[in-house]
Amino acid sequence: MTERIAGGHIIVTDTAQPTGRSRDVSRRKVLPESLFAWLLVGPAMLFIAIIVAWPLAETIRLSFMEAGLGGEEYIGLANYEELFVSRKFHQTIARTFYWMFLSVSLKLILGLIGATLLNAAVPGRGLFRVLIMPPWVVPIAIGCIGWLWLYNGYFGILSGTAQAVGLTDGPFEFLAYKQSAFYSAIVTDVWVGVPMVTLFFLAAMQGVSRDLYEAAWVDGAGRWYRFRRITIPQIMPVIVSMSLLSAIFTFNSFEIIWILTEGGPRSATTTLIVDTYKTAIGNYKFGEGSARAVIIVLLLGAFSLAYLFLLNKVNKKYGVK
Amino acid sequence: MATLDLNAINKSFGSAKVLHDISLAIEDKEFVVFVGPSGCGKSTLLRIIAGLEAATTGSIIIDGEDVSKSHPVDRGISMVFQSYALYPHLSVYENIAFPLRVQKLAKGDMDQRVHKAAEILQLTDKLHLKPGQLSGGQRQRVAIGRSIVRNPKVFLFDEPLSNLDAALRGDMRVELSQLHRELAATMVYVTHDQVEAMTMADRIVVLNAGRVEQFGTPMQLYHHPATKFVASFIGQPNMNLIPAKVIGTGENLSVELDGGHKMALPVDAAGISKGDMVEVGIRPEHVTLGDSGLDISVHVLERLGGVSITYGTVGNGHRFCASLPGDAPVHEGRNLTLGVAPNDCHVFDANGDVLRRKSAPALVA
Repeated sequence: MTERIAGGHIIVTDTAQPTGRSRDVSRRKVLPESLFAWLLVGPAMLFIAIIVAWPLAETIRLSFMEAGLGGEEYIGLANYEELFVSRKFHQTIARTFYWMFLSVSLKLILGLIGATLLNAAVPGRGLFRVLIMPPWVVPIAIGCIGWLWLYNGYFGILSGTAQAVGLTDGPFEFLAYKQSAFYSAIVTDVWVGVPMVTLFFLAAMQGVSRDLYEAAWVDGAGRWYRFRRITIPQIMPVIVSMSLLSAIFTFNSFEIIWILTEGGPRSATTTLIVDTYKTAIGNYKFGEGSARAVIIVLLLGAFSLAYLFLLNKVNKKYGVK
Repeated sequence: MATLDLNAINKSFGSAKVLHDISLAIEDKEFVVFVGPSGCGKSTLLRIIAGLEAATTGSIIIDGEDVSKSHPVDRGISMVFQSYALYPHLSVYENIAFPLRVQKLAKGDMDQRVHKAAEILQLTDKLHLKPGQLSGGQRQRVAIGRSIVRNPKVFLFDEPLSNLDAALRGDMRVELSQLHRELAATMVYVTHDQVEAMTMADRIVVLNAGRVEQFGTPMQLYHHPATKFVASFIGQPNMNLIPAKVIGTGENLSVELDGGHKMALPVDAAGISKGDMVEVGIRPEHVTLGDSGLDISVHVLERLGGVSITYGTVGNGHRFCASLPGDAPVHEGRNLTLGVAPNDCHVFDANGDVLRRKSAPALVA
């Protein structure tokens, strides 16, 4: 195949002729296929370059800088070295993974239970399907302000109920103590995340052929057996991909923590993303903040690769092409 | 050893009544086919026998025991689904072993039963594969294997061949008939395909709009259809039905077919009087090329080699189909005279019920 430019057009002369055709009849096209393909994906790639690649490159560049309001200075790997030895940063990473693990596990378990109930043939299930939506539909900030009131020691219903039944002697500020603040934030995060997980699981369950359940029922399989041996394997690919998505969302969950506790008390709810924000935006340390952001990208990247590998294996095992 | 008796089964979905007073006595080791058009209630009846649906009223007796209220697994039935209902994430072995795992059967016993079923169905070298790696016919066999391992009293099949292509369907028909002989089990089979019914059944139940039209052997249904519906449903191509006016009763029923052809038919004409309208049924394969008889104008001719299927009209535009010899001198657009033997004719009254034929071929067993 030869290519040449003629009068502004690229002319391709295809000399590799299929059999049964005379050699001098050459196929002519205005554009080679590969160039046409680049033209089609070009706008999308440009778009991605502007909103993803450029900010990412800028972040990586800044992570090698001592950068603040006063200007930039190249300091090599100093930002990373500092994080590498910082005990506080190690604690933040450990806390972030604990946060992610706990929250995602709860979302998956509650989502599975919720989807199973919503999938059951109970009267009024259409209504219930609508009723689980609000946590997802209400803007996160609004929902979190509601939770702030729930967790309030003097006006909150939780503290009030705890006092009324004698669990606490006086008002209990859920967000004022390290432990209770952390788990309160988890509860709110789960509350926001469960509806999406539930709906995805529900959709997957509805895709399972009814015949499979009937066949198993005729063979004597009970409810739990059918759930374990049919439902779970059949929706396994969705479980795996939902746990990846949910893990990424939870890892990067910022608004909930920021509105409830701003990462406190005493860093009890400071996850990596909150730490990054506090460093870069709160303290104007753009270089150190960028180093943290790069570490998030690397961690989530490795995490995603591992998951994609797992998803591939699961899809193979459960017969999805 | 398993008989299956249905006593006055009725089924309604809300206000829609889909089964009307169905009573059948199916004998041990019998292969019974429920056949009928879509929506006739045949699948619902099968699901009621399986225990997947509850009958509104009526009882199901298997081997003398009333199982109407029993769980499917306690009825001693197994079912093969139209979609095969194989578990895509389990191997062929695990699919076949599924009912045994539910029963928590000992490993050795289970292994033996799965391998025996696989051997019968020629799946031994496929046991490690997933259903997705099998052809349609092999998947069907896995589904059958899953029902064999349970040693059920009654096998239920819900249109098991309808997802297969025509050639494979023919092969599987033969395999299923052989399997029935090998297992010597009672089988109930649902299909909308009258060829499957005719070729495999010991006896056929023809269902129409939730009612049993007729229950009999394939040859009984062919030679002595009880109703116009059965007559037109059984046989390929379909029976021709021509309106006729009764012009005389006596030893034979004298009729004048639409189009003017007169015939004296040897049927029991009790309750029929002169001037009544009836319908005369003539099977396409029961006509001969002749000089006198029905005048047909031929519209379409299908030459299949061995036979020539001739489509045309008779009388005032009534469709008529004739199955003639392969080399019959017939041409599209021309007229044709066909001879019909009175002994081969069926007569149906205004309600669609048959008038008993006095002479009909002896039934082959």
